[in-house]
Order: sequence, then C-alpha cells, then structure tokens
Amino acid sequence: MDNGTSNSASENETITLKSCDGIEFHIDARIANRYTLLNNWNGGESACIPNVNGKVLEKVLEWCEHHINDPQLNCGDDDSRRRNTIIEEWDENFLSCDQDMLFEIILAANYLEIKPLLDLGCKTVANMMKSKSPEEIRSAFNIDNDYTPEEEEQFRKENEWAEDY
Amino acid sequence: MIALPNECFFKIFNNLWTDNKSLFSCLFVNREWCRIIVPILWNEPNFRFRNIKLIKVLLLSLNVEEQALLIPFKINLPNFPKPLFEYTNYVTSVDFYLYDGIRNWLFHHRYKVGSELEYGVKCSLIALLLRTSNRSVSKDPLPKYDSDFFTP
Repeated sequence: MDNGTSNSASENETITLKSCDGIEFHIDARIANRYTLLNNWNGGESACIPNVNGKVLEKVLEWCEHHINDPQLNCGDDDSRRRNTIIEEWDENFLSCDQDMLFEIILAANYLEIKPLLDLGCKTVANMMKSKSPEEIRSAFNIDNDYTPEEEEQFRKENEWAEDY
Repeated sequence: MIALPNECFFKIFNNLWTDNKSLFSCLFVNREWCRIIVPILWNEPNFRFRNIKLIKVLLLSLNVEEQALLIPFKINLPNFPKPLFEYTNYVTSVDFYLYDGIRNWLFHHRYKVGSELEYGVKCSLIALLLRTSNRSVSKDPLPKYDSDFFTP
C-alpha cells in the first residue's frame, strides 16, 4: 500500500458496510473515519448495520461522499439556534425525496451520529412547517388532532402572547 | 408517518426558535408536539415579557404564598383556570422586559404604575420564577437590576 500521506485512510482505501437487509456498500475509508459509528461496522464479514436498510444507507452514504471534503464541525459548536435555515442547493435537491425517505434519513443520521446530515434533515422538516396553519401541518404530516376543543381554547389563551409579535 | 424520536422533533422545532408564528402553529398540531414545543417557546420570552397576556399567565401561576404578597393591595388577580402547564419551569432567562410587562399589565387594569403595588407584583412574580424555574442560569441575571428592583 502506498503510504504517501500521514492520514489514517488514503483516497484509494475502501471499506465494506452492509445494511440490515444484507446489501453491501464499498465506500471510501475516509467517510468511515469521519463518522465513528460507520467505522464500527467496518470490514466484518457478517457485520451489518442494524436498523438501516439498503435503500436508506445508500442515500446516507451518497450524502457522506458528496460532503467528504467539508470542514469538520467543532464538537462544541452545538448551538443550532444561531444557525440559519438556509440550505445549499445540492442538499436541497438531495432531500427533496418523499417524506418517508426524509424521515428515514433523519432516523439513520441520528442513529449513526452523522450530525451534519441530522441537522440538515431537521432543518428541511422545519422549513416544511414554516408559515403553515396547524391544519396544513397536520395534513402535510398526516397527524390527527387529539386536543379537545376546550383544551385547545385554553391552551391558545395561555400561549397567544407568542403569536402577537 | 414514520415515527421520529422526540429528540429529533426537538431539533426540528429548535430551528423555528426565532419564528414564533410557525412555532405557535406547531403547538396546536397535537398534544405530543405541544409537550416538546412548550419548553422551547417559554425558554427565553425576552421582549415578549412585555406582553400583558404573558403576565396574566404568570399571575395565574402564583401559588398561595405568592398571592399572599399581594393581599394588602386588594387587587383582582386572575385566578381561573389554572394553567395547563407549569410554564415557568421552562424559563431560563428573565430580564428587564418583565418589569415593563408588569407596568403594562397594571396600566391596562387601571392600577397605579410606580406604586408599592408595582413593587409587590414584582416580588410575587420573581418569587414564582425562583420557585419554579428548573434552571437558574440566566443571560441577564436578576441582581443586575437590583437597584431598580428594590425601588418601590
């Protein structure tokens, strides 16, 4: 093996990951180096990532590959509130999939601790809720209203200060 | 819909932190979302403390001892219905706007502003916040305003 760099993984090195439904992916080892949890499943003949199926893992890995040269986020820099909700065009296209897939990607990113992808997914869902009424949000996400009318009315009175400005 | 864990929903709603209108809509989607959003909404009311509707909720949350501080002033406190949440549990930062809100509430109800009554209401609301707030860290700690606080 050519050891031209001091990095623990060179560009040509690949590792193998297997989804929970047995689909194998050969990926750039640098991806697994970035995201510790991916590395945990590296190489084992029978090792596979539980809870993440091939379809979702393929998407997650596609995202990781595209962002392989992104600067690493500082772990302490966790104040998502200070960040805005602007999303890069590539990411926006990447996540303009159906809602089930979007939620599956969020679940997988959460499970695999791929924080930037998790943040991106959450931001995308938040943007889908912007400027919508509760009814519109309910129908967009297929959620039933379980408030009683009285409860909803009281709750509205207690929180309407938030809507005033 | 695929179920996401609450921690993911918390992250989602946190993105709307500066967009109260959207957050307010999400609050009424269902009870589960509401339980996640209330702590975000009440975390730092900031300038919204000036709103008399918020002050009214605080006054509704006073316990017997805190209400007792106001007995000498014979004011009509809102006392029904009891709030659905103990909202002040989630308040992590109190600032000067609270005092503006108290003055606005007194003015709206035709009570004298700048009186001992104002001082009494300040005392009872601060007692409420100190009793109920789980997290004492505050962006603008109260002692900063001591000079004003102790001025009747």
